[in-house]
This record gives sequence, C-alpha cells and structure tokens, in this order.
Amino acid sequence: MGQGKSQFTEEELQDYEDLTYFTKKEVLYAHQKFKALAPEKVGHNKNAKLPMTKVLQYPELRVNPFRDRICKVFSSSNDGDCTFEDFLDMMSVFSEMAPKAVKAEHAFRIFDFDGDDMIGVSDLREVIERLCGPELKLSDSEIQQLVQNVLEEADLDDDGALSFAEFEHIIDKSSDFCHAFRIRL
Amino acid sequence: MSGSNSKNKARSKKQEGWEEAGGEFYQELYPGGEQELFDNLQRADAAKLATLLPSKQARNTTTVKRARSQNERRQSTYARTTQSRDIHLSMLPDLSENLSNEERTWEEIMQIKAMPVPMNQKRELKARLQNATKLRLQGFEQLQWRQRKVWHRFSIRFSEIVGKLELWQSPMREIEGKFGTGVVSYFLFLRWLLFLNLAISVIIILFMILPKTLLHEIHYPCEDYEQNSTICCSNYYMTKNLTDSNVFFDVIQGTGWMERTILFYGVYTDQIYSYYIANLFQSELYYNMPMAYILVAISWVLLSLIAIVKTAARGFKERLVENEGQFYKYCNLVFGGWDFCIHNDKSAKIKHKGIYNEVKGYLEEEKINEERQLRTRESQILIYFKRLLVNIVVFVILIASGVLIYFTFNYSTDKLNEDTSKFSENLNEVHVENSNQSHTEKFTLRLYKEGGLFFGQLENTLLEFLPFICIVVLNIIVPEIFSYLIKFESYTPAYVLFITLLRTVLLRLSSLAVLLSQMYTYVRDNRFVCSYNNNDPSKLDCWETYVGQQLYKLILTDFAVQFVTTFFINLPRAFVARHTNSRCFKMIGEQDFYLPKHVLDIVYTQTIIWMGSFFCPFLPIIGTIFYFLIFYIKKFTCLTNCTPSPVVYKASKSKSLFMSVLLLGFIVSIAPVAYSVAEIFPSVNCGPFRGYGNVWEFVVQTFEGFPFVIREFIFRLGTSTFAVPAFAVLLFFLYYYWAVAAANRHMVTVLKNQLVLEGHDKQFLLNRLSAFIRQHQKRCERRNRASFADDDSIRQSSR
Repeated sequence: MGQGKSQFTEEELQDYEDLTYFTKKEVLYAHQKFKALAPEKVGHNKNAKLPMTKVLQYPELRVNPFRDRICKVFSSSNDGDCTFEDFLDMMSVFSEMAPKAVKAEHAFRIFDFDGDDMIGVSDLREVIERLCGPELKLSDSEIQQLVQNVLEEADLDDDGALSFAEFEHIIDKSSDFCHAFRIRL
Repeated sequence: MSGSNSKNKARSKKQEGWEEAGGEFYQELYPGGEQELFDNLQRADAAKLATLLPSKQARNTTTVKRARSQNERRQSTYARTTQSRDIHLSMLPDLSENLSNEERTWEEIMQIKAMPVPMNQKRELKARLQNATKLRLQGFEQLQWRQRKVWHRFSIRFSEIVGKLELWQSPMREIEGKFGTGVVSYFLFLRWLLFLNLAISVIIILFMILPKTLLHEIHYPCEDYEQNSTICCSNYYMTKNLTDSNVFFDVIQGTGWMERTILFYGVYTDQIYSYYIANLFQSELYYNMPMAYILVAISWVLLSLIAIVKTAARGFKERLVENEGQFYKYCNLVFGGWDFCIHNDKSAKIKHKGIYNEVKGYLEEEKINEERQLRTRESQILIYFKRLLVNIVVFVILIASGVLIYFTFNYSTDKLNEDTSKFSENLNEVHVENSNQSHTEKFTLRLYKEGGLFFGQLENTLLEFLPFICIVVLNIIVPEIFSYLIKFESYTPAYVLFITLLRTVLLRLSSLAVLLSQMYTYVRDNRFVCSYNNNDPSKLDCWETYVGQQLYKLILTDFAVQFVTTFFINLPRAFVARHTNSRCFKMIGEQDFYLPKHVLDIVYTQTIIWMGSFFCPFLPIIGTIFYFLIFYIKKFTCLTNCTPSPVVYKASKSKSLFMSVLLLGFIVSIAPVAYSVAEIFPSVNCGPFRGYGNVWEFVVQTFEGFPFVIREFIFRLGTSTFAVPAFAVLLFFLYYYWAVAAANRHMVTVLKNQLVLEGHDKQFLLNRLSAFIRQHQKRCERRNRASFADDDSIRQSSR
C-alpha cells in the first residue's frame, strides 16, 4: 500500500474521497486492484487508460453478461476504455454505500443498449438473452412472452418501452436490486 | 430554538431560489432558446422526437432530487450536461453565483458524488465550488457546521473501523462470488444469530455467573428438628456424594461434577448476597440472586423478541411493497436477476442456468395456471386425491416418528433406572470387598471393576443419548422422504418450497414436543423429593437441572451430528462425485446447497437454546461457541461439498422466510418455559426459587414489596376500566389505518389509469407533431426549390 500512496498526492486522495463513496484507504485499495490488471502500464502512469479487454480481466466483470455495457457506460471516452478514474467511478457506484437511486441511474444506462433513453423491446430482448447466457437459448416465443410480461408489469404509460421514471419505479419496489447490483471491492 | 431557526432559514432560502428561478427557468431548461429547440425539432426524425421531451431531458435529475429537494433548477442543468457528454465543460453553469455560505458549498460537494458524470468533470465541479467566493459562516453557525463536518468525518472513520471488525468478511465474499446473494443472506442470518446469542451470553455472564462466582454464599446449618426445610434439603443435595465416574462422560452428559457447576439451574442460590466494596461504599450492598435470575430470563426473552420483530418488520415491509407488486416478479428477474458480485466462471454458468430455469419456471407456472382452469374434472379429482393421500402419509410419518421418540425415551429411562439401581449395589459391593482384601488383590480387582465400570458407563451414555440420537436421525431421514413424496403432488415450485419447509418444521417441533412431554411426565412422577431422606436414586433431586441436562445433551448431539455428517458423510460423497465419471456415483455424491434444510438446522439449534436457557444458563454461551463453529462447518459444506443449487434463492424472500421460521421456533420454545415458570412447583433442594409454590409466585411477592403508588398503578392497568377503553382506542386506530390504506390503494389505481391516458395523449400528440414537421419540411423544401429556381432565373436574366 505504501507504493500506492506515493502515486497520489494527499489532495487527489481527498478529492477522490469527497467525490466517491469510498474512504481514502479504499481508494488506494481500488488502485491496487486496477494496477493488478496491467501492472507495468499503471506503474508508469497511475491514471493510464486501459483498453476494454484489459478492464474486463477484472474477475467480477469477466463473467458479467453486461460487461461491455458497463465499461462503455463508465468510460469517459465512451468507447469502453477506462482510466483509473473511470474505474473508481464504476466501483463507487457498485459499492455498498451508493444509494439505490444512483445505482438505478447507471443500471438504466447499462440496460439501454441502443442509447435512446428508453428501454425498448429490443433492449429487453438483449437483456434477457444475455441473462440466460451463451449456451442456453430461450425460444423466440418465450422471449416474446417474457418481454410482454415485463412490459405489462412496468410500462405504466403503455408506450411499449420503459422510461427512466418507470424503471426507477420498479427498482424502488425491488428489494433485491440493491443486493444484486453490487461488486465488493 | 435552533431547530425553528434553521427551518425558517431553509424556507427563506427556498423562496429566494424560486424568485430567482422564475425568470430564468425556461432559458435554463432550453439553453439555446426557441431557435435551438426549433432546430432540434427540424433535425429530429419523428421516432427520435420523444427524446426531446422535457421529461426525458431532465431525467437524470431524479437521481439527485432524492438527495435534496433544494436547488432543483441547478440540478437540472447538471443533468443536462451529463445527457450529452459532448457539450463542453464551459457549458456548465456558473455555480458560484448564488452560493450563500461555506456550509452550502460543502453540502454541494458532498452531493457531487451522486451525479452520473465522469471523474474529471466531478473534480472540475468541485474545484469550481471550492474556488468560488463564498460567505464565511459566523459565530454559532460556524460552530455548528464545524461540528457537522467533524461528525461526518467521524462517522466515516467509524464505519471504516466497524467494517474492518466485521466478522467473516472475506469468507462472505467468497461465498457470494460462488453462490450469489441468496445464500450469503443465510450466512448473514447465521452471524446475526451468533450476535444475538453473544448478547444474551453477556447479560447472563454479567448478572448471573459473575455474582455467583464472586460473591460468597452463607451456609446455614441444618437443624434436625425441621428436616423438610429448604435449608436442610439443599444442604443435603449439595453435599450428597456423587457417583464417581469418567470425566469425559460427565462432560458430555452434564452429570457428575458438571451438575454442581454454574452450568445448571441447581447451584444458583436463593439468598440475597450481601457484600462490601471496601473503598467505595460504607454500607453493606445487596444482590438479590432469585430476582436477578428471573430478570435475566425475562430480559433475554424480550431481547430476542425485539431483535426478531425488528428484523422481521424490516423484511415484512419489503415484502409488503413487493406483494403490492406481485406482478413485479418478471421485472425483478430481468433487472435484478444477475448477481454482479459473481466472479468465477463456474458459478456464472450456474447462475445463467438458474435464471434460465426460473424464466422457464415462471412461464410454465403461467401455463399451469391456464391449464388449471381448463383441467378436466377427472384429472382435478385425481390430483386432489393424490394430495390427500400424500398428506395422510405425511401425517402418519409424523405421528410414527413421535411415537418412536416416545418409546425410545421410555426405554432408555427404564433401562437407566434399572442400571442405576444395579450400579449402586455394585458400588456398595466394591466398597465392601475393598475393605476385606489385601492391597495387591484390591488393586487388580479395582482395575477390573473399573474396566467393567467404563463399559457400563459407555452403555449408560449410549442409553442416555438414545432419544436424542433417535431425534436427530429422524430429522435427517424423514425430510428426504418428504421431498420425495412432494413430487407426486404437482404444486407450483414456490409452494413446494413452502410446504416442504412447513412439514420439516412440524417434524422437528413435534419431536421436541414429544421429548418435552415425556420429560414433563417423568418430572411429574419423580419430584417433590427432599434430598434429606431420599435414597431412591430414580427420584430427581432437582428436576430443573435434569431438564437442563437433557437439553444440553440434545444440543451436543445436534452439533456432533452436523459435524459428522459434514466431514464424514458428505465430504466423501463430494469426493466421490468429483473424481468419478460413473453416473450412478455422481448421483450419490452430488449435493446442492439446499437452503431450507440448512436454515432449519440453525433455527433448531436456536430453539433448543431458548428452551434450555432457563434451566441451563450456560446454554447461550455454548450456543455462541457452536454458532461460531457451525459457520465454518456450513462454509465448508457450502464451498467444498456442494455445488450451487439450480434453484435461485432471492435474498429478500429468504430473509423473511428465515425470520418467520425463527419466530415460530421462538414461540414454540418459550411457551413450555413460560408454563414451567408459571405452573410447575420448583424443586425444594436447589435453585433460586426453592420454597416457592412456583417461580411466578416469587415475582408476585416482590411486586407486593413495591411502593403503594406503583403497585396501584400497575394494578389499575390490569383492570377492565383501563383495558376496555384502551382496546377500543386500538381498534379505532386499526380501523383508521385500514381506511387510509384502502383509500391509498384506490388512489393508486386511479393514478395508474390516469398515467395510461396521459401516455396515450403523449403518443397522440407526438404523432401529430411529427406529421406536422414532415409537412413543414416538405413545404420548406418546395419553397427552397422554388427559390433556387427563382435564383437561377434571376441569374440567367441578369446575364
């Protein structure tokens, strides 16, 4: 940890502590984890930009069905490549301390594949397919049925897609979401 | 004073904010003004039109709005910058303009973290906020703010320390990564029980065990003329010769020397201790042991009850919210289905499979429901018949196991009584012989006798443990039968879980009930004996200690069986499963982590602890140790022996399930204890309540020693003049809340309908608008073409 400390000034650490849901120690710990992804690169430049493939080496992300979406959402350059600050943002949102609303906000963006600010039928299909994994395929009619059920439950204004307000409404009611949408540092 | 002050301040701030906001509001929302909006409209095709709606523009604000309601206007501007990242940072609003003071700035900085923008923008924002000119707080306010800041920092540090102290963090993480949050919630529950027992243990140690060991009892001599007085009886009981036997057997049975230790009810005194603390107080101090005993019991009952109810209430609230949306199960599955904490490939694969199964299950359930309505009469009757049959079989099994326990208990007590009478004769013989023989002979003989004694003791021990072994074995075998039987009943999957759990709970509790009733009859027939002139070994000197010993043995057996099954049965099974390809072996060896069974295991242990704590005050301490070990046993089961279950366990659902099972266990265990406290005659020879008609009588007597006012007050609470109006008021409140709830429910449906209508309106308007724009564009194009043509003609003409 001593090595990690030398890479940051006290001021930077204070900034990170104020701007994330982490304490200084956790920030340093996060940096260690980030460094472990590409030791020589991050050793040179603490805020090095790692390509998405490197970031996806992180164990929790590696097996996550939405991994590329997560990287894209948190990447400041929008292409999935993450700097340490992006990584820190990501971990902060996934941390236990982050409130539900913040999590919901990012979850919405993760699930919104086509980026039209609505979770539409195509987004839902994509989510379901990714959830079931690459090996198991639901039949088309089953997915159809499931999408329809989801929309029936959540699409309050009946426009065939979930707006953020509707999404947030569901998340509010779902007590499991907060537990599930969490990566321990 | 300060409260009202700050409230006023807040209000005035808000007003200021609104006044300022009034003029700029629209400009802020649509930064480019009318022109830009129109341009946007022109550029947008009809489908994308919806993204331009204000509600979409400002959606990110909802995130921050939750955190604070002030300064709405400013947030909407933050939010928009996040919407379209390409807007340059210079577009960020100048935040400094209406910052009032340091405290506000600090608050703002604390809020930044909730904003969905990349870190460099956050930092820029922070720097901006920090560098902006701001008013310094003066005097008291400055102090208050400082305090707040310090408190904030302190709470962060505190939570950091607590987080570090948190027990079993890394194992939890490992389990979570492999099995998901549902299983982790089980381990959290285990930890919760550990802490509950720890708390109870602390109470017991502080108020019972410490005084008992530190303070000195006064020994009154027994006068011959009143042989049946409590003093004589207990003197005799405490000094009576104990059968000398092997230490190991004593420890596992709680007999022999163990019986006279602080483990059991019997040794606690009925005296009021008096003591001096030399330097502090001049006068004598008193410690009323019986009072402490009953108060400690009451306080741990209350403590457990409050802890359960508090935790259950939280779960209940969540459940209620969820139940309102029974129909949210699909959304929950789709959006909350993946555990983001899963970090290895194998579990990820299993999780995929689990979700897949659940989707299938839900869809099938729907189909089944549809089918049920279409089901023919015959098949319906057939299913009902099957269910009836299975239920009868289950009932018979339950009764049979009850009967089995009954007989084994009787058998073992009968045998033991025979043995003890033989045994004491034997002992006498040994003594007689000893005195007659030469030294060497005596020695060999003693060795021989002791060898015999050892085996005799082993047999005795086995007999002692027979009922408990029987119970535990039944607990293992019968649930397997139940889970086999339930396949015939074609229930829905959720209901299957519930009903197997219910049946298993019934089995466990009924076996306990049989044991208790057996003990009760045994105690009823064999007590009231003053030890002073009691030479009949089958009679109980101290029945409370006896009950305590039984439960002590039960908990030991339970623990031993868990240990043995995990390491000597399930581990080899898992080993076989891992290293074989044969299908048959795989079937024997493979185990999944079936959550309800493990929940029952620990709830059962807790039930025994509650049941026995009054008779064996050491039980919670033993329980704490056991839970600590059980955690590792279960972790081993979970990580090494088992593969993740194909059933998806939801954290919230399982938590409320645990709590309801625990509550059931609590009620079942406390009821007999309460009965014994209120009704059964305490032993004359031992314990803090010797000489009273029942334990409660002691409480009543103490109550009568209270000052008149308090007595009268409490007495009045019990009379009908108070109870009836109180009841009426409670009813009234109940009705009131029910009515409010009903009204709210009605309101929700009305609003939902309205929302749908609004949605339709919006779509309608958007369609009209896009049609209009298309028309407008066409007209423009036509006009442009016309003007080009005009230009051309002009140019031509000019040439």
